Amino acid sequence: MARRLSERQRERGTSSGAGRERRSRRAQRASAAVGRRNPALTWGLRVLVVGYLLMLVLWPSWYVVQHTFADGLTGLRTALQDPDVQHALVLTLEVSVAAVLINLVFGVGVSLLLVRYDFWGKRALSALIDLPLSVSPVVVGLALVLVYNGRYGWFGPWLEAHGVQIIFARPGMIMATCFVALPLIIREVVPVLEELGDDQEQAARSLGASGWQTFWRITVPGIRWAIVYGVVLSLARSLGEFGAVKVVAGNVAGQTQTATVVVQQKYQNFEQATAYSVSFLLAFAAVLCLIVVALLRPKGVEGKR
Amino acid sequence: MSIEVKNVNKRFGDFVALDDVSVSLPTGQLTALLGPSGGGKSTLLRIIAGLDSADSGTVSIEGVDATHLPPQKRNIGFVFQHYAAFKHMTVAKNVAFGLEIRKKPKPEVERKVAELLDLVHLSQFAGRLPAQLSGGQRQRMALARALAVEPTVLLLDEPFGALDAKVRKELRDWLRRLHDEVHVTTVFVTHDQEEALEVADEIVVINQGRVEQVGAPDALYDAPANDFVMSFLGDVTTLGGQLIRPHDIELDVLPGEPGAVEGVVSRMLRIGFEVRVTVLTDNGEVVTVELTRTHARRLGIAEGTTVYMSAVMGATRV
Repeated sequence: MARRLSERQRERGTSSGAGRERRSRRAQRASAAVGRRNPALTWGLRVLVVGYLLMLVLWPSWYVVQHTFADGLTGLRTALQDPDVQHALVLTLEVSVAAVLINLVFGVGVSLLLVRYDFWGKRALSALIDLPLSVSPVVVGLALVLVYNGRYGWFGPWLEAHGVQIIFARPGMIMATCFVALPLIIREVVPVLEELGDDQEQAARSLGASGWQTFWRITVPGIRWAIVYGVVLSLARSLGEFGAVKVVAGNVAGQTQTATVVVQQKYQNFEQATAYSVSFLLAFAAVLCLIVVALLRPKGVEGKR
Repeated sequence: MSIEVKNVNKRFGDFVALDDVSVSLPTGQLTALLGPSGGGKSTLLRIIAGLDSADSGTVSIEGVDATHLPPQKRNIGFVFQHYAAFKHMTVAKNVAFGLEIRKKPKPEVERKVAELLDLVHLSQFAGRLPAQLSGGQRQRMALARALAVEPTVLLLDEPFGALDAKVRKELRDWLRRLHDEVHVTTVFVTHDQEEALEVADEIVVINQGRVEQVGAPDALYDAPANDFVMSFLGDVTTLGGQLIRPHDIELDVLPGEPGAVEGVVSRMLRIGFEVRVTVLTDNGEVVTVELTRTHARRLGIAEGTTVYMSAVMGATRV
């Protein structure tokens, strides 16, 4: 029943092209309007925007950095020597990487399904994929606990009887992280796949390539930058996840505590220096991700077309 | 017969794309599937290629039943209207794709690619990306890529449709010459009757999901099976209630021939060497007649002149 969608894509392609034109015209008009405005107002707006960002993002972030390095590198060193922190950082990395890998496979698969095939309930699926963006992570965690916990969950008792523990263990944490980062790769890959069309894939098939060969040799190279961008975003999101993981993990120091949970716990236990240091590491990792993305982005969009 | 299509039906929802189509396409020839847009010709080509599947009916290629074979097992070459170039590969890599899939030894691949690039005059562009080529060059690359796998049949879906008029004409001549060199059974889809008449050995006229007529270009032009084929292959007008080509009407200022139709010239339009005359007959028929400029001058006709029209010897009429 899954019918190929080339025609419809072509139509959509032309309409989005027109949209882009319209948008750029609007942008031109907007810049012309800014040019006519009086300088006092322009400066006022700039100060307002910069001030807003300063108060909301830069100043607090800077405070974290300042507190981390208040005693030079001592804070960071102490934090890194704490076995709980060490364990939490390694665990965070493990969980994040596992979740990103799962989301990568699933995300690319779902993207292909959404773009290349027509099936009943497709719009519902597409809407469902955005759900993790709108639902509170705490709710996600709670939902997972309800379904998978060992005592009264739907699958939990059966799984636990067969030696698989999900809640208060790594599988649950990975599932929670997967859930919250789910849409990021899909939302990157889908538009690129749509723009690419399936002409090249059909050409590859006509030249004798199997579905698998076509996927690896034609589809993946076509969407590789979207994949890289999606992976980096997912990684950043996964490293920083707090609510869902905290509910699912059970917060046992040295066992199921991730970096974000450690920050909260250390802060409440008056070990501020350690809390700031771990916060700094998390923020640093996130900024690193954003830099990687910023470096990749122009290459992916212009350099490769 | 190389390609045998039998009783093929295809629907897209309520739309009937192909209605019980049966057609045989001869080996080693260049066949055109000609018809108006939305007539089903591209669908037929895609079903032959295996890129679409028929709702019912069978397709066999060189005696092998291909109805349920996936495209990669049919040994076809397919050329798309919009080139479908592999954007991330160089021209040489594009052409080598089918050979690499078939795991041919490297020296053989290199030799074959060089040979094909030479054939399509793209040798000096081997290292470029498709984005650095013009439309005509991209389509030639796509042709070389399709030919690389030595297909049993070469299928081209409106191959020159996205190119401008001049390049189109060049590539058309070039395709004809290429076919005379390579001799692979070739089927191409077009809605341009001039293209079909000029290039093809055989034309299959398809309209509203049905085959209207199959035959050599001359046969189709001279003996069209019905009104549709007659009017699709060239300009037509009516004389005495019959369809006739405007250049098949003899015009005279004197009532010479018995049975000539009398009329008054209502409009004259000069286009280069020819003159298009619109004549209004007594019984209200509007007839278009084409004649050369010198002929018109010799007759001395102008708007308002009374003329007598008759079909020339051997005129095609439906």
